Amino acid sequence: MAPVACEFAIPSRPKAISKESPLSKKPVYTLVDELPNKGLTIMSLKALDFAVPGAWNNLTGFVNTIKEVTGETDEALIKEIGDRAITLYNDKSEGYQKALWLYQTVDSASSALGTGMIANKATENISFLGLINKLTPKPEKAQSFDLTVKLVVELVAFCQINGIPGDSIGDFLGAVKDYGGESLMRMAALVCYDGLVPLGPSFAEKGLETLKQSSASDLDHNKTFKGVKELIPGDRDKGKLAFITESFESVQDWMLGFVGDRGLTQDKVVTSLSKAVDLSQDKLEYLGAFLDVGTNYYEHTGVQTLTRRLVERAAAEV
Amino acid sequence: MMMPRLRRLCAAISQKAFLAIALSAILLVSTGCSALAPPESPSAQFEQTQAETSGRKAPDAVAKEAVKGSSLNDFFPRSVAGYSGYDVVAAQEKKGFAQFKVNEGGENVAMLSINDTISNPNAATKYESSTRKIQGSPALDIGNNGTGVLVGDRFQVKVQSRSDRFSAEDREAWLQKFDFKGLAKLNS
Repeated sequence: MAPVACEFAIPSRPKAISKESPLSKKPVYTLVDELPNKGLTIMSLKALDFAVPGAWNNLTGFVNTIKEVTGETDEALIKEIGDRAITLYNDKSEGYQKALWLYQTVDSASSALGTGMIANKATENISFLGLINKLTPKPEKAQSFDLTVKLVVELVAFCQINGIPGDSIGDFLGAVKDYGGESLMRMAALVCYDGLVPLGPSFAEKGLETLKQSSASDLDHNKTFKGVKELIPGDRDKGKLAFITESFESVQDWMLGFVGDRGLTQDKVVTSLSKAVDLSQDKLEYLGAFLDVGTNYYEHTGVQTLTRRLVERAAAEV
Repeated sequence: MMMPRLRRLCAAISQKAFLAIALSAILLVSTGCSALAPPESPSAQFEQTQAETSGRKAPDAVAKEAVKGSSLNDFFPRSVAGYSGYDVVAAQEKKGFAQFKVNEGGENVAMLSINDTISNPNAATKYESSTRKIQGSPALDIGNNGTGVLVGDRFQVKVQSRSDRFSAEDREAWLQKFDFKGLAKLNS
């Protein structure tokens, strides 16, 4: 029950963090203030409301988040909480910036296309039909790697933000069962959009099989892994592959339970999404790539999660 | 033919009318402009803090002398009599800070926390205005939803409601069950 410090060693300063995207250099309040209220990311997340009813309400705006999380209305207290949250965020050793970097990087690195398309994505106004012609379906192996790496990123980011879990994987499993709000929505999107839709109902099995049949050098050819490997625990790529495999294997049952308990199917997810984003069934094979390029749900909900945790801590400390 | 006096009067009236219209127009335009100008972001109030806490010379957010977060865990209540069905779940643990959630039926109804005020002494000085005590330590209501206690002149223990179902009386009932004596010893 009692949390203890992270046992696995997360590299203190990844080399890649010096190449932060412009977004991560912004003040935390700007990140939250600039979260969009519309666009493909929002539409695709809202399309999953049927899977996690009422869990996510797209909370945006820094002051708004403080008010919503704490229920406080006194302006002086809100200012005090905001000041402390900013101070904590700006201290790199507190881990919040690393978590943001992970969420941002795993989203952009998993994209099937280049940075030009990612830049367009920021405008959040690409139509599905306009985009579809520029996409090619992602190979199953690459998609399986993406799924497993994204899951491990969630685990590592969780540890950075919360300071727990202790022996990492076991405590993460306990924590994920208590997930709510945007964290639960992020997991729903991971399971549905990176698992169920591109890989089918046996997505968890495929992910694990891919990991077990792969060598460290296979993994190193995966863009998503390369993007975040600096912060994945484990000695060299071989150790990191072992950590990813162990983590994914441990969370596999939770994912399958999530799908089973909610009666989720590829068909239900695609039907809900197609209503939201003008999608025709004959383009289904492109859907995974479309979601990769057209959305940044990990970053979006990741910013919301770390802000919520920051505010919870700041409100407790002032 | 208009009389000269009448002509002057008409001219004076039309001058005044022109001035009134012109002034109204200026007023309208300026009001319109201010209404059209983008409102200042609610986050503008944090720009100074951002400047002071970022960059190379930024101070640490947490003092080096702050206690380990794990050393605070033992002082939290895991259950309170009269609150069956409430779960206490670990939430955050960082240097100088530990926090647990109180959930009822899966819903988060309160947050329990202990922080070492050595990192932010203002959190401790506010208790100088306290007029009541919980377990012998100065206590304060903080905002709409919080109750805090300063233990051993150093550790702030807080319970914050996250649901209307968790009242100020509930907060005090939970604060009574923290181990303040053990916590105070950390400061020795």
